Amino acid sequence: MSPPANHEATFQAWLEEHRGIFVKVARSFARGETEVGELQQEMMFQLWLSLPRFANQAKPSTWIYRVCLNTALTWRRGAQRRESRIEPEADLSRLAADAATPAETAGNKDLLEQLYSALQAMPPSERALVLLMLDGLAYRDIAEVTGMTENHVGVALTRARKRLAALLKGVTDELE
Amino acid sequence: MNWNDYEAIWKRQELPVGAGADLATLRGAFEKKRRKLAATLFMRDILEAVAGVFASGVFAYSWWHVGKEAWPMVFAIALILGISGFFVRERFRAHRLRLGPDVPLVAKVEADIAELRHQRHLLLNIWSWYLAPCGGAIAIGGATVVRVLIIKAQPELFSALLQNPAALAWIFAYVGIVLPLSFWGAWVLNRRAVRKQIEPRLEELEKLHQSLLT
Repeated sequence: MSPPANHEATFQAWLEEHRGIFVKVARSFARGETEVGELQQEMMFQLWLSLPRFANQAKPSTWIYRVCLNTALTWRRGAQRRESRIEPEADLSRLAADAATPAETAGNKDLLEQLYSALQAMPPSERALVLLMLDGLAYRDIAEVTGMTENHVGVALTRARKRLAALLKGVTDELE
Repeated sequence: MNWNDYEAIWKRQELPVGAGADLATLRGAFEKKRRKLAATLFMRDILEAVAGVFASGVFAYSWWHVGKEAWPMVFAIALILGISGFFVRERFRAHRLRLGPDVPLVAKVEADIAELRHQRHLLLNIWSWYLAPCGGAIAIGGATVVRVLIIKAQPELFSALLQNPAALAWIFAYVGIVLPLSFWGAWVLNRRAVRKQIEPRLEELEKLHQSLLT
């Protein structure tokens, strides 16, 4: 069953307001322009399918993070997946291009690229936690997205932050 | 650099603004993909059940054609329909238990793990719910045909067979080689699917689950 018109309006509003989530999750879980674009498409598609189930019980951002992270964590790369993807339309291709080459300033871009590289080197669960933390979510919100307890989020994040710092240590030393 | 610096870098990244795509284009693409996905799932759901119904039809036709002496065919039909019913029940179960990506990560990973374990159990025990009933149905069908031939006393058919070694060889080859090989092939392919596809994915998800909970 396709989502009714009000779902379409919701979807559009979510894309307008939260598009950054798709970009950040895709860049953290996929490598290269093509894969980032494919993952973004898949996340948007899953969000589209999930719309009829959205009943305002969760904040839209929590819902979107859940859909995006679940999709990214279970996303399988490979020819079979690529074959079943949506045919690239002009707008969708533009989304991927936007995501892969944002116009960050040169210095920021270097640091940001290193940060994304470090994120990709982390285990997927820690990657998800750090991404949510970097996006400024409170422990309670992270717990709601992941299904972990708040205490556990705290413990896991301490470990994940240490790992991120270790991964970035060489880079930041170099930069400093 | 410390965490605050990372946060600052993260928040300074320039992200695309706005929807970035025309909703009508997205809607068209998504609806096309959704319909394709729904059709694929529907076909997968009914294909195995329809194959069973078709095979039952063949047995039923043989029964009707041969007459009341072929009554044991009812057991073969029951076995084949039982397999179809099992497929249908499995599909309903999978649809009922499948969680969308909008649930918390831990719940989704746990549901996926449970489903993969169930699939592994089914594939490793395929002999009990698929191969044995299939073999049973084929054996009953074959035995019924022989029984009917004996009851209807068609000695000319037996003597013709005995005088035709090529026909006998084909029958023995089918019963002694082709059927066992098909069953063995199905068993091996399913074990291979477990080893190559389900086990690695299960291991991946269990690792993810472990890391989310410890």
